[in-house]
Amino acid sequence: MLRVEDPALLTGKADFLDDVDRPGSLDAVFVRSPHAHARIGSIDVEAASVCDGVVAVLTAGELDGPRTLATTIATRPEAKTVERPLLVADKARFQGDAVAVVVARDRYAAEDAAELVEIDWEPLPALTDPIAALQPDAPLIHEELGENNFEHIEFSAGPVDRVFADADHIFRKTFHFGRTHAAPLEGRGMLAEWDSPESLTVWSSTQMPFLVRWLIAGLLELRESAVRVVTPAVGGGFGLKVHLYPEEVVVPIVARMLGRPVKWIEDRPEALATSGHSKEVLMELEAAVSRNGRIHAFRGSFVGDGGAYQGHPWSSLIDPLCAASMLPGQYDLEAVAYEVDAAMTTKCQSTAYRGVGWTASHTAREALVDDIARALELDPLELRRRNMIPDGAPHTSLTNCHYDGGSYASSMQVAADALDYDEFRDRQRRLRAKERYVGVGFSPFIEQGGWAAGIAEAMGFPGYHYTDGVSVSMETDGTVTVSSGFQSNGQGHETTMAQLAADALGVSFEDVRVVQGDTAQTAYATGSYGSRTAVIASGALLLAAGDVRDKLLAVAAGLLEASPSDLELAAGNVFVQGAPARRKTIAEVVAAAYWGPRPDGVDPIPAATRSYEPPETYSNACIAAVVEVDVETGFTKVDRLVVVEDCGTVLNPMIVDGQIAGAFAQGIGAVLHEGLPYNEDGQFLAPTLVEFLYPSATNVPDLEIHHLETPSPVTAGGFKGMGEGGLIGAPAAIVNAIADALSPFGASIDQTPLPPEAILRLIDPPAAQLEQH
Amino acid sequence: MTEINVEVNGLRFEESVPARLLLSDFLRHQLKLTGTHVGCEHGVCGSCTILLEGVAVRSCLMLAVQVDGASIRTVESLASGEDLHPLQEEFRRAHALQCGFCTPGILMASVDFLGRNPNPSRTEITDMLSGQLCRCTGYTPIVDAIEQAAARLQGAE
Repeated sequence: MLRVEDPALLTGKADFLDDVDRPGSLDAVFVRSPHAHARIGSIDVEAASVCDGVVAVLTAGELDGPRTLATTIATRPEAKTVERPLLVADKARFQGDAVAVVVARDRYAAEDAAELVEIDWEPLPALTDPIAALQPDAPLIHEELGENNFEHIEFSAGPVDRVFADADHIFRKTFHFGRTHAAPLEGRGMLAEWDSPESLTVWSSTQMPFLVRWLIAGLLELRESAVRVVTPAVGGGFGLKVHLYPEEVVVPIVARMLGRPVKWIEDRPEALATSGHSKEVLMELEAAVSRNGRIHAFRGSFVGDGGAYQGHPWSSLIDPLCAASMLPGQYDLEAVAYEVDAAMTTKCQSTAYRGVGWTASHTAREALVDDIARALELDPLELRRRNMIPDGAPHTSLTNCHYDGGSYASSMQVAADALDYDEFRDRQRRLRAKERYVGVGFSPFIEQGGWAAGIAEAMGFPGYHYTDGVSVSMETDGTVTVSSGFQSNGQGHETTMAQLAADALGVSFEDVRVVQGDTAQTAYATGSYGSRTAVIASGALLLAAGDVRDKLLAVAAGLLEASPSDLELAAGNVFVQGAPARRKTIAEVVAAAYWGPRPDGVDPIPAATRSYEPPETYSNACIAAVVEVDVETGFTKVDRLVVVEDCGTVLNPMIVDGQIAGAFAQGIGAVLHEGLPYNEDGQFLAPTLVEFLYPSATNVPDLEIHHLETPSPVTAGGFKGMGEGGLIGAPAAIVNAIADALSPFGASIDQTPLPPEAILRLIDPPAAQLEQH
Repeated sequence: MTEINVEVNGLRFEESVPARLLLSDFLRHQLKLTGTHVGCEHGVCGSCTILLEGVAVRSCLMLAVQVDGASIRTVESLASGEDLHPLQEEFRRAHALQCGFCTPGILMASVDFLGRNPNPSRTEITDMLSGQLCRCTGYTPIVDAIEQAAARLQGAE
């Protein structure tokens, strides 16, 4: 099936945010702090204000509207309230904090003027190490909070102390999952135009148009329905665009003050330095293990580096808390305990990125499991088999996640078979004799899907404000319109929704039109993130289409003088079961619905809006990677990547495989190429794509994808979410493959990324991190 | 302001431009050919790739005044009406695009590449693609699409 979205994207006709133009529109550019942490003395905008083409240069005190985002509204009740100024007035808290906004007739004029804004800075100590930031004597980033920890959380289940006291072995591992960046090719941006003093339209590159509407309306004290959020084509999101950023509030404020549409398009250095960094978690894990290889318990400490502010509205807990909540993974344990700290540092705030903190904890846990296998001289697959929850049956983890069944062990076996695992071990030995170092890493994992109240609560977040609807209408000509507030940013939702509606209503795929990306035209939904659209939008769509189908059958029953329960809908017709000659076309039935004749009491409009809230659902998969490490140069080459995916009922195989492959490439990037370093002064060292290295075509091998299908017993259609798995699971597979390749050197990996210089440090001197007691 | 005379997608334009206007901005904002995208503004990502005298160039690294007298093709010129170019069709068939932001640049780079190397190996395609970034697909389907398009274009000759 070909995607409906493609022709417009392939021909350049699709409009992305910067392609939208409004008459009289002005361009905004932000003036940003060059310091990581510095008090602001005076700001002189005089020279900038008189530049040719400049309409306004505004600082915090001149913004006519709210001054801050309160950035913790959607998190746990005991979490601190962290205010984020829209423009900073007193001090900057990371390099890139916005101080002023310049609005001019075009971007060139605005950028010229921005360089002329003079700010007196009084530098303060930078805080780049999250552990140091948590010390009682650390300088405060937000003085009013009294500490640099957004929240401390402790959890335990089962007899943790006893299990650890009785264990034959306790294995420990520290692991620092490095900062990375979702880095969609299209950055953030906003165009704002006021239709009247009380009515605002914004064009936003977002994954959540209705939540943008809700957040902006509250801040600007507008009725929610008076804010229209239009989301044109979105050039990738990957979680980065499930936040509201301060610039997106400044732009409508400035547009109101100036009485003109104002557009802001983030440039690449702004994207890399100021939008959102992700996944940085420092972990200390412990496992209580019997000498027969039974893992009885995990204990973990998870310190997130959330940067200077809290990503609005989810907060920095999305990394360390999600990491901790999935600590048990696919293992059958007796006890588990974790502590979470959400440190704040003078770095860019953390934001969501595909797989959030699950990537970090899964990588650390699976690296520990491989370390344990080496220490006990057990095969890593055998060790996992001895500890894995059984296939098929639902299972509740000790962190209270309700897994809805999967192919946990069998997916690992299919991956091993695909690699011809025993033969690989022979080849590995032969190559080592020639001083070539290949390794294999396995990464079986469980992936949450359909983020809504159930999953949110399982992950330690509140379960409110998830309501997601889809409208289905039969038009007078017999075609179908589906409208939904879910927002595709590359996942092909138009195609999958059209496919589902066509199947449910017996019309052709071409006769379904899907409307999304405009809060004025669609049913309410909270957006597309957390692998939720395939599960939730599909569920709502099937319910709404079912209602429409019932209405059509009621009308057709009158026309065909049959009972609705004897009728079938297929291939554009409604017909009597067993007597297909007694039929009407759907167009005829729809005409009768609208204009009669129709039975008494049947509503004429065949349309319905339904919502769907799924219970918790979890996909599973196993990823296996084969790498070769050049011990002279430290260069890692990924030779093979195999994935065995089980996301329940597969909606559209082409799109599922596309999601897997894209997330994999991001996983390779996170482990081998990317990285967002700061120096000790808090200066950001990766502001362009020359420093932040996307994986390129030569870094990503062809992917071998296998499918298993364990339909969810709890969701509509048996669908499970699967958009993030590649980036949850691939890093562990690659880390373990590198450690396996370098096992003759006693290498134990305790960090990402692993560029060549880090690999060389693993080889010489040997750095064994595994402590055994 | 400088007067330039340029042919874009077969149409002649006489335009007056500031000396420092980037070619990408000229195409996008002055001629309203917004199919050419800007992803990094420093020549790394390749989203802004166009054909200048038939050769793939990064329009974010050139000034509009540099194309005075030249002929340019952008992604808007590839399809004929409703009929997609074989590269566009194969991209669609192979699911070689997800968000589609990088796609116009990759298509234009591929047109130039296949013109010079009509029968490329997968390795050659991958090497060419290493200059074009995509964050969605993992590249394999893009290599597949270009390989298929090459075969079709060869067959058509």
